[in-house]
Amino acid sequence: MSSATPGREDGIDRPPTLVMIGVVKAFAGVRALKGVDFSLRSGEVHALLGENGAGKSTLMKIMFGVVQPDEGQIALDFIGRVRIDGPRAALAMGIGLVSQELSLVPQLDVAQNIFLGQTRGLTIVPRDDFRQKARAILDDLAPHLKTETQVSALGMADRQLVEISRTLARGGRIIAFDEPTSSLTPAEQQNLFAVIRKLKAAGKAIVYISHRMNEIREIADRITVLRDGEVVASGPMGDYSESKLNELIAGRELSREMAADKPAPVESVPVLELRRVSTSRVQSIDLTVGAGEIVGLSGLVGSGRSAILRAIFGIDPVTEGDIVVGGAPMRARNPADAMAAGVALIPEDRRGHALVPMMDVEQNFGLGNYGRFGAMGVIKGGARRRAIRSYVEEMRIRPPLINTKMRNLSGGNQQKVVIARWLATGARVFLFDEPTRGIDVGAKAEIYTLLRRLAANGAALVVVSSELPELLLLCHRIAVVSGGRLQKVVPNTATLTEEHLMEFAAGKGEL
Amino acid sequence: MSDLKTLSRPGTADQKVRAAARSGELIQKASVAIGCVALFLVFSLLTKTFYQPSNLIDIMLQSSINAVIAVGMTLVIMTKGIDLSVGSIVGLSSMVAAHLLAQGLLVGIGAALVVGLVCGAINGILIAKLKLPDFIVTLGTLSVYRGAALIYTDGQPIYGLSKEFRAIFAGHVLDVPTPVILALVVAALAFLLVRFTALGEQIIAVGGNEEAAKLSGVNIERVKITVYMVSGILSSLAGFVLIARIGAAEPIGGSGFELQAIGSAVIGGASLFGGIGNPLGSLIGALTLGGLQNGLTLMNIPSFWQYVASGVVVILAVFADQWTRKPR
Repeated sequence: MSSATPGREDGIDRPPTLVMIGVVKAFAGVRALKGVDFSLRSGEVHALLGENGAGKSTLMKIMFGVVQPDEGQIALDFIGRVRIDGPRAALAMGIGLVSQELSLVPQLDVAQNIFLGQTRGLTIVPRDDFRQKARAILDDLAPHLKTETQVSALGMADRQLVEISRTLARGGRIIAFDEPTSSLTPAEQQNLFAVIRKLKAAGKAIVYISHRMNEIREIADRITVLRDGEVVASGPMGDYSESKLNELIAGRELSREMAADKPAPVESVPVLELRRVSTSRVQSIDLTVGAGEIVGLSGLVGSGRSAILRAIFGIDPVTEGDIVVGGAPMRARNPADAMAAGVALIPEDRRGHALVPMMDVEQNFGLGNYGRFGAMGVIKGGARRRAIRSYVEEMRIRPPLINTKMRNLSGGNQQKVVIARWLATGARVFLFDEPTRGIDVGAKAEIYTLLRRLAANGAALVVVSSELPELLLLCHRIAVVSGGRLQKVVPNTATLTEEHLMEFAAGKGEL
Repeated sequence: MSDLKTLSRPGTADQKVRAAARSGELIQKASVAIGCVALFLVFSLLTKTFYQPSNLIDIMLQSSINAVIAVGMTLVIMTKGIDLSVGSIVGLSSMVAAHLLAQGLLVGIGAALVVGLVCGAINGILIAKLKLPDFIVTLGTLSVYRGAALIYTDGQPIYGLSKEFRAIFAGHVLDVPTPVILALVVAALAFLLVRFTALGEQIIAVGGNEEAAKLSGVNIERVKITVYMVSGILSSLAGFVLIARIGAAEPIGGSGFELQAIGSAVIGGASLFGGIGNPLGSLIGALTLGGLQNGLTLMNIPSFWQYVASGVVVILAVFADQWTRKPR
């Protein structure tokens, strides 16, 4: 990591490749960007930081021509002032976007995806030619990928490599990555970083968007921080400490909220016990979680972490073993049984599994709470409103209005509503699957505080997370899952590090 | 760039997944044909006349109108769309054709093809440009185009089509009925379109992942409008066969064809979730439905039951599709 030394080697002195000046964009009267200046140099990785809603995505969409700015100018060093009126124009100018929701067509093969949109109409697609060209690009980036493999058969990491190749196939000189690591394993992430460094060495200009500070520290040369549609800081990475960046992003001091001491171990009565539990995906899981305890589940995606939660919540049928909740054996054949026993699951895919975007906060809160707030099928609106209002206040849900449509809330606030719903059911066991995925740093701190308070009130928490710092911050004990088995359950002592956990996940390493 | 090669590890689970995907695909492709053959075998065992060459040609002839429409429907479904207005386009364009055939063969054919094209373009523009839901748009135009066909002659049928016209669309070439040849040619052209042209790839892309297609620089609106226009013009062609065989055009001609066409496409492996479909499969799908109706008729099962049977077969096809696609 180069620090801010004279004669910078990170390309700061070079003239910019792309310049955006005074970019303004309003959606329905709300100004998402209020005059943003942004410049990008070839051979640099430029991290774009900011909370959700700060304007990062809008800025990238403007750069890629998906939306048009209301005001402001864009210039490219090799063309001059440009108007980017669509993705096709952006691609032609050498600007590529590797988006968060990977934009590949699963039904087409690798080469077809790389060259999609380059031929039109009734022309015969020069398939062999495209395959050869794709091969040449893949040889550099991902030699293990075959050009004729259908994309639906590829994993996330490989799909990402195909997207990068697609940009390169158009002679891409500027490549933006929008949260590229959110679904990668640590190994895949390192592989991606190697690719990004290659691209950088080849003189490409890279924009990198991520919420994960340790990634930014590892890969970025320069940073630009957006807050509420304005640039609040821009400069070499080395000029900013991590806590300074967090402060800039959130606009307030977070260090105390974020970095509370590692939790002290608790001795308490077991609330949740798994005794040699097996399902089709996991085998012989033994785990006990006490009142007031937070246990983390660590491991790679697909290792069986989430499958353990699904077993407890009655989604995956338990083929062997017992699950005991509060001393009584629970035979949950479906989630409704688990709920009745006081188990709550806060799923990873909030949009898909936990909420209804077009219903308002109160209605979303009421989902699954019909028993409590209903009488003979009629919803007791008054009681429900009073309940959600108290949660909104207590959990600092923003905006503090119960009739806001759920889709207009940020990820962090949506998550709070989901948690509030479970609190109202009186659940004692909380299962969290990636509780802070896609949630910005300010809201993250609040979610952490919330989890700690749940535990302090005597609930038993199981947290699945890919973010090891998160587990080390929150959990009393951490269980490492791989291949559908619990490899190890370790107390989260001061000596436990991310490296240990990664080694355990890979099936080796001792404390 | 050599150190990069050592970094990227070969796809570990990929091979298995890929093999599974490929075998699943094969099963699906084969199952379309196997289903059709099985059905034909069953009827051949149950009746004495079903397997006679003359009856088999009859089935092909009866299926050809539906097959031509189903091919267009397949392209629409591949973009994750639906065209409910095809039957009404058949009715409207065949009325125009029958009326204008008096002015000359090419005038009648040309005008009717233009009608199909315009009807399709209206569907496409409403769906692609105005972003209206395809189901509602084509449900609306189903009614509009049918109404136009009725208004055109105040509900009266048109009799007396020219001999050349009937020879072209209901004649024989070397004992093979021309509608059968037409259906084969249409399906083959559509297959080549999907398999080898940029447009075909873009049809898959729009249905498979519209956002991806857009971000790749594909003109989504143009692709969508094109498939609806193709569907419209193929409906006109099917209309020619319909009126040439009957010898007259009725304003209500083609009613209910949309269900047959959607059924054929789905039996043929097209996925209503977009991105998947095969015009040749839809041809077999049309044959399956045609064979089913023919067989039931030969077994003296009342035609009311044929509606039930056709619907059940379509639903079974969707069920089979879901089942084979389920990741295991």
